[in-house]
Amino acid sequence: MAPLLKFCGITSKTDFAQAVASEADMLGVIFAKSKRQVMPHQVAEWKEAYPLSKRQKLSGVFVNEPVSKLLEIVKVAKVDAIQCHGTESPDEVAEIKRRSGLDVFKTIHHHDESISEMRKYEGIVDGFVVDTKTADAWGGTGAQFDWKAVPTYEHEAKRQGVPCLIAGGVTPDNVLKLLAYKPSGIDLSSGIETNGQKDERKMNSMSKAVKKTYQAPDSFGRFGPFGGKYVPETLMYALEELEEAYLSVKEDTSFQQELLKELKEYSGRPTALTYAERLSNYYGGARIYLKREDLNHTGAHKINNALAQGLLAKKMGKSQIIAETGAGQHGVASATVAARFGLSCKVFMGAEDMRRQSLNVFRMRLLGAEVIEVHSGGKTLKDATNEAIRHWVANVDDTFYLIGSVVGPHPYPQMVRDFQSIIGEESKKQIYDRLGRLPHEVVACVGGGSNAMGMFYPFLNDDIALTGIEAAGKGIETDDHAATLTKGRKGVLHGSLSYLLQDENGNITEPYSISAGLDYPGIGPEHAHLRDIGRVHYEAATDKEAMAALEDLCKLEGILPAIESAHALAYVKREAANRHNDEIILVCLSGRGDKDVHTIQEVLGGNEE
Amino acid sequence: MNRLTADTFRTSHDKFVPYIMSCDPSYEASIEIALALQEAGVDAIEWGVPFSDPLADGPVIQEAGERARASGGSLSKAVEGIKEARKRGLTLPVVLFTYVNPVLSIGNDRLVDQMKDADIDGLIIPDLPFEESRDLRELCGSADISLISLIAPSSKHRMKMICELGDGFLYFVTSLGVTGTREHFSDELENTLQEVTSYSNVPVLAGFGISTRDHVRFFQTVADGVIVGSALVRFIAEREKELSSPIKKENALSEIKQFVQQLIS
Repeated sequence: MAPLLKFCGITSKTDFAQAVASEADMLGVIFAKSKRQVMPHQVAEWKEAYPLSKRQKLSGVFVNEPVSKLLEIVKVAKVDAIQCHGTESPDEVAEIKRRSGLDVFKTIHHHDESISEMRKYEGIVDGFVVDTKTADAWGGTGAQFDWKAVPTYEHEAKRQGVPCLIAGGVTPDNVLKLLAYKPSGIDLSSGIETNGQKDERKMNSMSKAVKKTYQAPDSFGRFGPFGGKYVPETLMYALEELEEAYLSVKEDTSFQQELLKELKEYSGRPTALTYAERLSNYYGGARIYLKREDLNHTGAHKINNALAQGLLAKKMGKSQIIAETGAGQHGVASATVAARFGLSCKVFMGAEDMRRQSLNVFRMRLLGAEVIEVHSGGKTLKDATNEAIRHWVANVDDTFYLIGSVVGPHPYPQMVRDFQSIIGEESKKQIYDRLGRLPHEVVACVGGGSNAMGMFYPFLNDDIALTGIEAAGKGIETDDHAATLTKGRKGVLHGSLSYLLQDENGNITEPYSISAGLDYPGIGPEHAHLRDIGRVHYEAATDKEAMAALEDLCKLEGILPAIESAHALAYVKREAANRHNDEIILVCLSGRGDKDVHTIQEVLGGNEE
Repeated sequence: MNRLTADTFRTSHDKFVPYIMSCDPSYEASIEIALALQEAGVDAIEWGVPFSDPLADGPVIQEAGERARASGGSLSKAVEGIKEARKRGLTLPVVLFTYVNPVLSIGNDRLVDQMKDADIDGLIIPDLPFEESRDLRELCGSADISLISLIAPSSKHRMKMICELGDGFLYFVTSLGVTGTREHFSDELENTLQEVTSYSNVPVLAGFGISTRDHVRFFQTVADGVIVGSALVRFIAEREKELSSPIKKENALSEIKQFVQQLIS
């Protein structure tokens, strides 16, 4: 997410109009004695003349104002938020919040004890502003504090679950330096002025610098040119309904709390972060850390998204869940969630995949799901997805389609990404807590790409390498691979535009990988976009490389990974040695290999008694 | 001149538009079937393009697509077939029915050029919703080809917007679900169709699941006409062998003609 942007110290109607028209999320007016002090009725008049956009808020800044006076000003000026910029105590701030009913921000002045100062306001404030305190003024002086402290402030604010705006001496010239410290918000006053007046040019250049951070998709679900909604008209209404429901739960604390509870108490989150010391030593070079999604209930990251969509289905009042599955992991996760939430469940599965994954078919049936055998096309995941969509079209009224990856029409790619982002968010926190820094590179395997998107998304604005690994099957020089980004071309499948494996007539061709979970002819549209804008690097690993890496992890760490995840490990095996041993590679171990033992046994010849 | 916007099509009553799959069972047979349908007295022809993943289609048309691909069918081949049918005397309006991906593969500009060259009047792409269709709509507009929109009972607040840009005709999807024959239709259809007709400046044709004489009659009274796909495609599929035999072909074509005439009568 782009940092919040606040333009503070507005003193005239013209400046106010300019700030409203800018990309600022928050406008600040100062009611305390200072050279930028304004009167409440002036502010009310400006606000009347230039209404704020929906996403903007107007904040009034006060310094040690008696509470009753402050409330009077707030009432006249009609501000949306209050910033206590002086030495107001937690009790005073709590009283202001209670009596005004508005969001209250507390300014923390940068000094040695600032963090313990912030802690005192925990559970009371809606955010912090960290500013420089000079001898003769409370702020707005253009004086900067040492920004190396920014991550510490951010860390504490994040722990409290509130934003933290950095103020003090920020200008268009130095903002990039500040952005490198990842502030959740930036507060400017003198930095956007020329000769004491707000300067439109400076405001624009500030907006541009701050807001250019990654913000896909757009409102129609496009990631650059990719994504969108390419579905029959019969489904458009269902997608709009789903999008609306999803956006409402995104901001709904009770939904998020219920989901968190399920993830924690039912699925077993947070999953562990494991340092693979022996594997690191064996590969040489970088230190390898594993994000253990294999430790989730049902054995893979798939349950994160299934639980979330299951809850959403319930909230939307749908009684039936349908899902498609290739390797069976998403089918098992969907069947599990349906059982947990008391919904009926149909899982569409290609006849060929049912044969290859008979154990998972049995598991789904045991969980009470109906497994529907699909005989069209190549009888694999692609065909199961077509059938699931067709079934959905005919039964949209009571049926929720639980898509298992970051594919399909909008809002699925965005929704599944958001639901899977817990992988990256947890990883980021865990590695930061343990090592005090972010990894140098994050690696994940990519079929449709949900574990990778969930892992990558929280790191997109960080200055680290992100690498996705596709299945090269028997080699990308052969026809037997599933390397969609490496070998595909732009096309539409299952409702969105992305890269696809297809023939010259636009017919989708059958992919191949030893891993049933990776042999999908398409890829999530966001991956296509991230590849094209150069933010994520994608490579491919063959069946053979994956199986070798799988054996390494078994023997050196006692972990049997899913063959999907072994593709990511195969890349790490190639890359680790190129890196110094103080560098860190974080790998998403998306699932466990129990489901793959038959394949592994066939390939690695472990069938000797 | 676009035959869909010409008076002959626009003002004709009880329109009947059959769907056939190009190259099913063979390139040659689909051309001959089209000519037989013209003799049977249909008002226009929907000419299907085989595609590997036809989301909006039920099993009958999916299987027809597989047969067509096996006999060398593709988007280019479909356009070529129409061009050939025109040479052999096909004068009816022809609408190409394809999916987004084959179109992307050939490219919007090239497709529109080829369609123009083959004298094709309209284009239907069921997985290209209104919101994604602007570029192609403009391109088709400048080539005098109608980009035909689909409208569904669930379209609700989108209905007016879609109707306003209706071109050639509007394809009203009679039921949620995919193509295929059906026994019953929802009772609310009549009201929805009335609403659509009130917004539309072009004929509204009902399609999806219409298979019997009674269905045809019913929809011809509540809409401007009908589109019949799966029922005909199945009838053709049952005559696959005959259509490939030089001796039995004529008989099969005449059966197809009779089948359609019965539906229209």
